[in-house]
Amino acid sequence: MLAAHAQTGGRFTLKGVVADTAGAGLPEATVMLLTPKDSTLVNFGRTTKQGAFEFKGLKRGNYLLKITYVGYLPYQSTVNPNDGDVTDMGNIKMTFMDQNLYEVVVKAFRAPLSIRGDTIEYDPKAFKVPPGANVEDLIRRLPGMQVDQDGSIKAQGETVKRVTVDGKRFFGDDTKAATKNLPAEAISKVQVFNEKTEQARLTGVDDGKHEKTLNLQLKDSHKKGGFGKVAAGIGTEKRLEGKVNYNRFNEKNQFSFIGLGNNTNQGGMSWDDYQDFKGSQSFNWGDDGDFGFNGGMRYISFGGDDESLTIQAGSGAQNRGFNKNWAGGANYNFDTKKTKFNTSYYYNKNTQDLDATSRQTNFLTNSAFTKLDTNGRLNSNQNHRGSVRFEKSLDSNNTLVVLSNFRFGNGTADYRSHQEFFRGVQDSTQLSNMSDITNFSDFNSFAIANTAIYRLKFKKKGRNFALSAGYNVNNSEGDVRQRSTNQFFRSSQTEPDSVLNINQTNHTKSLRNQLKSSALFTEPLSKKFVLETFYNFSLKSDEVDRDVFDNNEGGPVRNLNLSRYYTNNTTFHRGGTSLRYSYNGLNLLGGIGLQQIHMDGKFAVNQDDPTRTRVDRRFTNWVPNVSLNYNLKNNRYLYGGYNFSVQEPNIRDLQPIVDNSNPLYITMGNPNLSPTKSHSFNIGYNHFNATKFTQMFFGAYFNKYKDQIIYSQTVDENLVTRTMPTNISGGRNFNIYGHYGFPIVKTKSNLSLNVGYNNGKNLTFINGELNDTKSNGYNGGLRLDLTPSDKFTIYANANWNVSDTRYSLSSAQNQKIVNSFYGAEMNIKLPKDIYFNSRFNYNRYVNDRFGFNQDMPILNLSIYKTMLKSKKGEIRLSAFDLFNKNRGISQSAYQNFVSQEQVRTLARYFMLSFAYNMRGMSHSVRRKGGGF
Amino acid sequence: MKKLWMICLLLSGLPAFAQQEGVVVTYEKEHFWSKIYDRLTFLSEEERSRIKNTVKNWDQGYKTKGQLFATAAESKYNDMEPEADGGWRGRMSEFMVYRNLDTERKTEIEEFAGKTLVIDDSLKAPSWKVLNKIKEINGYLCMMAEAEDTVRNAKLTAWFANDLAFNAGPERYFGLPGLIMELNVNDGEVVFTAVKVEKKPLNDEAKLPKKIKGKKITTADYDKMLKSYINDSMKSHRNPYWNIRY
Repeated sequence: MLAAHAQTGGRFTLKGVVADTAGAGLPEATVMLLTPKDSTLVNFGRTTKQGAFEFKGLKRGNYLLKITYVGYLPYQSTVNPNDGDVTDMGNIKMTFMDQNLYEVVVKAFRAPLSIRGDTIEYDPKAFKVPPGANVEDLIRRLPGMQVDQDGSIKAQGETVKRVTVDGKRFFGDDTKAATKNLPAEAISKVQVFNEKTEQARLTGVDDGKHEKTLNLQLKDSHKKGGFGKVAAGIGTEKRLEGKVNYNRFNEKNQFSFIGLGNNTNQGGMSWDDYQDFKGSQSFNWGDDGDFGFNGGMRYISFGGDDESLTIQAGSGAQNRGFNKNWAGGANYNFDTKKTKFNTSYYYNKNTQDLDATSRQTNFLTNSAFTKLDTNGRLNSNQNHRGSVRFEKSLDSNNTLVVLSNFRFGNGTADYRSHQEFFRGVQDSTQLSNMSDITNFSDFNSFAIANTAIYRLKFKKKGRNFALSAGYNVNNSEGDVRQRSTNQFFRSSQTEPDSVLNINQTNHTKSLRNQLKSSALFTEPLSKKFVLETFYNFSLKSDEVDRDVFDNNEGGPVRNLNLSRYYTNNTTFHRGGTSLRYSYNGLNLLGGIGLQQIHMDGKFAVNQDDPTRTRVDRRFTNWVPNVSLNYNLKNNRYLYGGYNFSVQEPNIRDLQPIVDNSNPLYITMGNPNLSPTKSHSFNIGYNHFNATKFTQMFFGAYFNKYKDQIIYSQTVDENLVTRTMPTNISGGRNFNIYGHYGFPIVKTKSNLSLNVGYNNGKNLTFINGELNDTKSNGYNGGLRLDLTPSDKFTIYANANWNVSDTRYSLSSAQNQKIVNSFYGAEMNIKLPKDIYFNSRFNYNRYVNDRFGFNQDMPILNLSIYKTMLKSKKGEIRLSAFDLFNKNRGISQSAYQNFVSQEQVRTLARYFMLSFAYNMRGMSHSVRRKGGGF
Repeated sequence: MKKLWMICLLLSGLPAFAQQEGVVVTYEKEHFWSKIYDRLTFLSEEERSRIKNTVKNWDQGYKTKGQLFATAAESKYNDMEPEADGGWRGRMSEFMVYRNLDTERKTEIEEFAGKTLVIDDSLKAPSWKVLNKIKEINGYLCMMAEAEDTVRNAKLTAWFANDLAFNAGPERYFGLPGLIMELNVNDGEVVFTAVKVEKKPLNDEAKLPKKIKGKKITTADYDKMLKSYINDSMKSHRNPYWNIRY
């Protein structure tokens, strides 16, 4: 019945009969022929009804015959063919497998069982013991084994005479020494077998007596470990930096801490530091309780700012001023399949010393004015952040997530500024105003956000329900001292016609409470259609108390124009439904919602003032939404969508109150504002060719505004600007971009090109006239990566940005700004683990209209060497900004102005640093990132 | 004469013959990405352990399902459309494996790098080593066998059931005396498990489908293509495993 037909001279036939212990043939038993060397399967077949098997035409040689049959121990024996054509193995008797053992080990514990002759091996993983248990506790749980009260062990009823660890005797013949002292976690295998007695081994005469022996195999490595890194550097110009982090983990727990400090503008944690710090809780899906049109997808939200409640990572290098940073924190995670818990604390402090000069020209109807500003800032702030997150799978269909994040912060800001205003576009003639400002503020704030999300999956696949609730508090308090001298020049350029001195103190206290809740229900209509329905509710109540005092000679007097007290309740309701088609990569959604925003505010000069101005506004809108996600063949991806959004006015903009705290820039509220409505369209396409390594993407988006809130300006003859928020329709912007990357020589060089175009229409009222600012922006760039070997790489890039701005009020002021950036990086691996890195950036800022033309060449060099065992250490010498040319330069043109700014910032310094990484310093001449 | 007799037998016994004893198996395929990242030699130890640490809670095995129809001589494996759970749904790439043990031929359809390839070639089983380890999977006592995938450079561990005398398994894996119930690639990077085994007579479920479209390629050329793709990707510091069947 078996396959193998060839019959040649040197070949032979192997046959036999497989039988049970009583000698009856076993039908359909599996018979395998293996090579004796490495058990490679050569041939296989099954026995006949009578239990017979036959392999014909076998190559002459030794084989391993293996026979299996359910309920029997696998049989194994070597086949040494005789000289004849047929080798008959005769009757092969199979022996029963210990059914008890089989039932318990294999069936109940689903544990693999290894059989090696008479040795049976258990895998302790399958037998759960509490943490900290010793081997004795483990053995107690193993089937077929028992531990007596005195600690002696019995296997299959026989007393175990010997316990070995990794085959070696452990503490002589005391069987209890090993089992009582070794932790169960350290054991990878428990083996029980019969061994010759000590006497037999000594004499070499097998007396036929055997003793039960227990062997414990130790794990190669436990599933726990730790890693950490410490780095410190000292430089010229009193530059210092240091960082330390450590993470310790086992299967369920992770604990980590981080500490850092520097005065080299390095910011806080990088993304890598953040991931090492938060570990398994770095990113969590679906922690946002505000359900909406994207119900089918869950996402992770990134980003935020200093005000954010969560720890901010990846803020990167600061290129403005001189910064000192301190940060430190600790994190703990507990993760099991059903329960996940995280708590962390993080502190950071930043002080910034910033000196800047700026120039801004504002265009008015047929005229213009130019402001020169030289200012110095000294800011300091610190934050304490804490978080707790708890996730529990109640069962496979119910999940609960509760999270709370808080931030407690305080700080001071010291601001000094000298400002000069000139009529026209020149900054030398026709001085109009001059101001000297000294402000100091001191603030503290507390904010907390609490969210609970419950998700339920119904029995019917695709029917899901989610409910969320949130409670947020945002509390802040601050004092500001404002002093300024403002001189107005009309008839003379040296003697002011009038002088206005301001000396005020203001104390502001604000408290916001927010209650939120959302619900989402998903119902599958068919295999391809899903109906989603959601509802959002939010109640936000604000209370702001601002007391402003004029510091006169006789003492502080309340300024009734600027002091105010208000409360505002904003109620938000939104309900919506959408129909989604999802099948084989095509996901199409169409939906509509109805939302209502109700703002109810009461304003007064202060709490005691009985006169309250009321703002009661209600906005109701339909909000449609369409989106497309199409996953096409060949790594192609098409997406697009349309949505309509409504943004309610800021409560400060609605207040019918004049704020003249800056005498040259007076703001007024407008209680008649409508919300800004925007129509947004987007479309995009990506393609990645996996074998050619080419990639391409392009996309476009378009926004059109209705009732956009803009700040209309009126500038009087003293160049005092008064602004008021107003609604205007017709503003829009459009953006299109494309990227194409391809290898010039596969794996050695890569070139990518990108182009973009944007077009904007910004509307403002200047002195009652509508100004239409049209901007056209063009950008392009290319990047060349040369990675010829593991010892040498070059990365070069160039980018150009041109922005063309046209002002309808005065076309003579049209601006063209050109910013160009060129960069090149070279990495060389030298012998003896020495590496060299150089990075050169050349930035150029041009505006011909003002003769502005600035170059900034920056060269950084570093040389470093890995050292110590497993390259865990590194010593590095670096030079930053070798040409000493670093300044923070920026220029832009918007609504009715064009501006340039330069900031004094950290320039040339040299640094010597040392780092030690428990995971090894990794060095590659290749840039990090890319494809994983 | 013999031929004629065969035809007669075929004709007379047609209704009975068309149905054959067979088995329908549903496999669950789990990807453990953090283990797969461990194979990216261009990542440093620090980067690899960082990924592992970060994705710990997500890496519970990305699950897909496939279905195998097998008779004594033929078998066919297909991916199964993921069940709609109300969320976003991706596209299924084309994949089918057909084996005929009688003719010792195979036909495989696989989408690779945007092309639909048809690999029509002779059947070659991996060189399995049968070891002395047993465990039970879904009610079947299974034995362990090991082999080497030289193209993907992976260690294969299969658990096959002697009780199910079908020389077949998930995706491209076969060549053992019994049905492969579990297949483990590189100590748990990817694990196939038979979650449902149904013995029933089959009509033509295990037969080669008539409609086959794609670019014809031999096994040798396919292996070469795959190998150079993995090599190039590693050299270019890209993860090759997102784009290939692993």
